Amino acid sequence: MDKLSREEVLHVAHLARLSLTDEEIEKFRVQLKVLMNDIDKIKEVKDYDDEEMYTPVDTNARLREDVVGEMLNAKDAIANAPCKNGNFIEVPVMINE
Amino acid sequence: MTNYVPTIGIEVHVEVKSKSKLFSNSANTYGMATNTDVNVIDLGYPGTLPTINKEIIKQGIRAAHILNCNITHKMHFDRKNYFYPDNPKNYQITQNRTPIGTNGYVEIEVDGIKKKIEIEEIHIEEDTCKSAHRGNVSLLDFNRAGVPLIEIVTKPCINNSKEATSYLTKLKELLFYANISDCKMEEGSMRCDANVSISKDNTLGVKTEIKNISSIHNVGLAILEEINRQKEILESGNTIKEETRRFDDKQNKTILMRVKETGNDYRYFIEPDIPYLELTDEFITDALKTLPLLPDELREKYKKIGLTPLQIEKIIANRALNSYFLGLLEYKTNYTIAINLLLSDIASYLNKHNKLITDTNLTYDKLVTVINSLESGELSNKNIKEIIPSLMETDKTLEQLKDEFNIKNITDNSFIKDIITKVIENNPDSVNDYKNGHDRAIKYLMGQVMKETKGSVNPKIANDLLIDTLNK
Repeated sequence: MDKLSREEVLHVAHLARLSLTDEEIEKFRVQLKVLMNDIDKIKEVKDYDDEEMYTPVDTNARLREDVVGEMLNAKDAIANAPCKNGNFIEVPVMINE
Repeated sequence: MTNYVPTIGIEVHVEVKSKSKLFSNSANTYGMATNTDVNVIDLGYPGTLPTINKEIIKQGIRAAHILNCNITHKMHFDRKNYFYPDNPKNYQITQNRTPIGTNGYVEIEVDGIKKKIEIEEIHIEEDTCKSAHRGNVSLLDFNRAGVPLIEIVTKPCINNSKEATSYLTKLKELLFYANISDCKMEEGSMRCDANVSISKDNTLGVKTEIKNISSIHNVGLAILEEINRQKEILESGNTIKEETRRFDDKQNKTILMRVKETGNDYRYFIEPDIPYLELTDEFITDALKTLPLLPDELREKYKKIGLTPLQIEKIIANRALNSYFLGLLEYKTNYTIAINLLLSDIASYLNKHNKLITDTNLTYDKLVTVINSLESGELSNKNIKEIIPSLMETDKTLEQLKDEFNIKNITDNSFIKDIITKVIENNPDSVNDYKNGHDRAIKYLMGQVMKETKGSVNPKIANDLLIDTLNK
């Protein structure tokens, strides 16, 4: 059966920051290939690159005047964060991963 | 070592000046308390929608114009997708396919040779949040999230570090003068990345990217070091890997960073939440109306009114003072005296008190009377030093200040001549010394004249008259 390589699946998984089991890798090698074939079919449409295809509205973007509005206080701003540190949002270290 | 030709491209991000952010109306400012300059759009909450700040589009038009780019009339924004905690939406809104400016250039001069550094494109995008790393955690402050940026990308047309630093200096000067950005590298409002490759022939070598270099000087050092590193690798028979590096200025070398996504991995697609934006000619003209004179235009103008190259560079280096001086040109006065006064006594007063000239009480009318009095000799440079604080801090007229400081510079030549005659009569030895070629005697005689007049005559006029009388 037509499928993606193991490396291709692992690459896509890395972009989504997902770790996969060997079983899942095999499953996605097939499933992602099916998806990609469908996308290739969409790309065959003649007007694929027609700009009108991209946006659901044909009005020009409305521009906002440069005026400052209301802002949150720090307590509210970080209220939904799973982990806090003072007024910062804390996450696992972002470098040297 | 074989001769290699370096090829360098530079990407610069500048934070754009405006009141509010690019896609939300929280404040576009610096230095607020952690996570207080944010709203739900900056935090990437589901259900929120971005709206484009009109002023940023205008700033983009101005930047495109001053960098000699073609201005794109119909544009859209794109999503650049990546998972990283600095951006909770998991995409950055940027311009990938329709950048606001394309095909521009900045003209530089290195060792007397002019060169156009070609600009591939400039585009508008949002900044990410700021992160600080502490052990095994990172701390996020979203005040910077959504701050408007303009990214300026050159073609790979730079051949050495001198061209690179010269380009950056010119770019910074232009963006600063056009009031598009503060370009403060130390505060991160201007950031530089350099792409470097080397090759023995016309083909391009494998490039490495040096990220986030902290000063223009360091860009020069980083490029030199990276060229050397690549030469050593190639000479030892190995190959260069395409990778992202950073410059450590303490060790003076580039260091490998984590490999991030590149190119297709970002899966760009058009931002569906923002309709297309079509700019009218009227809108573009309107945006360009507020552009001030730019440094090269100023240099021409100042050359014509007789300023020296040093004075020109000094006044241009101080944008606030320059803008004041430009206003003064509307008045008819002695600009040489004016520029000397502005760059010396006035500039040191402003530096000392950490003030802008616009924060003082020095009106143009008052300054013109000061300049005229200096020219006629009613006021000496010594007097200026006395009255400068009052001149700047109060709204007293020059006449009032002269009374207050008891400045009565006598410019009546007959009065000065009488004093000189008296001094000459009383000091025959010194007069003889002078006549026998001892030039120092004149200093003593001048001292006597100033003593007689209690310093109330203009020293230059008195000196000229004294020499005149002695030579008769």
